[in-house]
Amino acid sequence: MEDKIRRIYVPMTETGFYILFCLQKPQHGYGIGLRVKAMTEGALTISPGTMYGTLAKMEKDGLICFVGEENKRKLYEITPLGKEVLDLEILRIERLYRNSREEI
Amino acid sequence: MAETCTRIRVFTIADFEEEEMWLRDQSRNGWRLIDMIPPFVYKFERCEPEDVIYRLVYKNNEANAEFMQMMEDYGWERAGRCLGWLYFRKPVAEMENVNDGEIFSDNASRVDMVRHIMRTRLLPITIIFLCCVIPNALRATESGASAFFTVFWLVMFVIYVYLLVHCGFKLRRMQKELEGSGL
Repeated sequence: MEDKIRRIYVPMTETGFYILFCLQKPQHGYGIGLRVKAMTEGALTISPGTMYGTLAKMEKDGLICFVGEENKRKLYEITPLGKEVLDLEILRIERLYRNSREEI
Repeated sequence: MAETCTRIRVFTIADFEEEEMWLRDQSRNGWRLIDMIPPFVYKFERCEPEDVIYRLVYKNNEANAEFMQMMEDYGWERAGRCLGWLYFRKPVAEMENVNDGEIFSDNASRVDMVRHIMRTRLLPITIIFLCCVIPNALRATESGASAFFTVFWLVMFVIYVYLLVHCGFKLRRMQKELEGSGL
């Protein structure tokens, strides 16, 4: 993985993480938005402008790719590079979680 | 046919939040935006007074079908377009929470839009000011220039100075606030 990708995406925002996580299966932007709302019980909303911008950036950086269309909506899926970034993030979050449970 | 009215109102490239509030107020008073004539003319038609949130997105004519589809999926109706800006609206009654009334949910994407405005609007205005308005305003003050020429370029000079100072400071402040808030 290039340093540039690592610098931009590790660590990533909650929005970025959920988008990448959901794209382990092909999905379109609005579908991701609904899924994230359900997963976080409404605590995290990804608005359309942010969703569109993040998808465009991730596609440009090769973390996700366009895999088809469904009712005029573009479907995306995670790439091997995206999976690598996601796995790094999961390791980081697991460490964060473990440490937060430790006694100070 | 519904009653219509035409209003003229000047908003600069840095006043989009004020414009959103103004359009929301019009809707509360029973006027619904139906058309715009760039740059300052707004056409409304009579409607039931309703609290409707308006949002302006600066796309500089780069909006594509994917973006418009996504806005529609999220319940935003396209209300107009003007000089690279897209106007959307959504009734407050259709929102579950305040986040549903936002186009952007993080500061990174808000600051992207501010930077886009600076790069493709403020920068050209600055270049026109330096390369065209200043030289002509200087020539206009020389003796022998016609009165019309003098007045025209001095007025242009004042308008450009105001635009650059007002928009430059305001956009810069927005950018700083959004970047400074961290995370």
